[in-house]
Amino acid sequence: MIKKYLPIFSLLLVSIFVIGACFKPTQMPIVIDNFTLQDYNGNNHSLSDYKDSVATVILFIATECPVSNAYNERMENIFIEYGPKGFAFLGINSNKAEFVDRIKEHAEDNSLTFPILKDEKNVIADMFEASVTPEAYVLNSEFEILYHGRIDNSRNESEVASKDLENALDEIYSGNEVTKKVTKAFGCTIKRI
Amino acid sequence: MNKINLIFLIAGLVYGIKPVYSCTNVQKNDSPEVKVITVSELKNLINDRNGKPLLINVWATWCAPCREEFPDLVKLASEYYGQFDVVGISVDFPEEIDSKIIPFLKKQNASFSNYVIKVIEPEDFINLLNENWSGAIPGTFIYDENGEQIKHLIGKQSYEEFENAVLKASSLSPTLGGEI
Repeated sequence: MIKKYLPIFSLLLVSIFVIGACFKPTQMPIVIDNFTLQDYNGNNHSLSDYKDSVATVILFIATECPVSNAYNERMENIFIEYGPKGFAFLGINSNKAEFVDRIKEHAEDNSLTFPILKDEKNVIADMFEASVTPEAYVLNSEFEILYHGRIDNSRNESEVASKDLENALDEIYSGNEVTKKVTKAFGCTIKRI
Repeated sequence: MNKINLIFLIAGLVYGIKPVYSCTNVQKNDSPEVKVITVSELKNLINDRNGKPLLINVWATWCAPCREEFPDLVKLASEYYGQFDVVGISVDFPEEIDSKIIPFLKKQNASFSNYVIKVIEPEDFINLLNENWSGAIPGTFIYDENGEQIKHLIGKQSYEEFENAVLKASSLSPTLGGEI
């Protein structure tokens, strides 16, 4: 009996495996490769420079996007709060039409004091599969993504009900697993080449 | 006051008041209506298909690619008027209806239905439209006559891309205005 139906069972098993593989939903990359970019002062920053941090926060941001700009103060406040706790912060601008001079001017105008790197030809945005600004990623020392998504649930600060990035950083700082690993929000599309 | 003066006075009053009244009417007719919509109301709107396919475009006045593709949506809605529904959903704030949304729609001559979404949790709205959508706008979601989503387009689209997607969702033929 078993011998008779074994080929059919095997075929079914293979089919399930193949179908499962084909219909696996698109997922974010689990591990990011090390990379080096220059900030607006011409200094190099490699991801590996921050391996000893509690975690590295990557923020894809923009100079002209109203949503990203609505978060300027909040991003800086998060940096001020979590930087001393051992978190590293790197802003990345991948928009093709936003150049280094403008990024520097924008950072100064908005009192953004964490390093902001220029991602020429959006190579790093592609590697992260980042699509909007602002968009946050938190990486551990192995460059594994611990959190990916929004900073919070509303660009209107008075309507914020869920501080998702800060919640993730608190959990990481406490040595716990991030409960909500992926979130979504509206944002400006990263303008790629 | 003699009779002639009285006639001029009445005529002046009639002609003086009429243009003001007419202008008020024109302005009212030209002003697009934008309602606030909740996620559950949007869900009902998608499900309540009256035998017509539906195109939902998610946009914002602050979104440059949204503004760039908008004239093609206006053209598409006009070319296929009555054959399928076009609904714009703005993710601007509801408080910006009069200051930003309506002025933009007037400038675009948009005659299709437009709403502004009211959400506390954006993920509810994003996942209603498509669970694989990141929330990057513009986003366009096309449903068949049964409310089944058959296509989603992320990022700025051309007229032809909009039209192709809608034609695939329906048994419509391309109009003379649309080249596919």
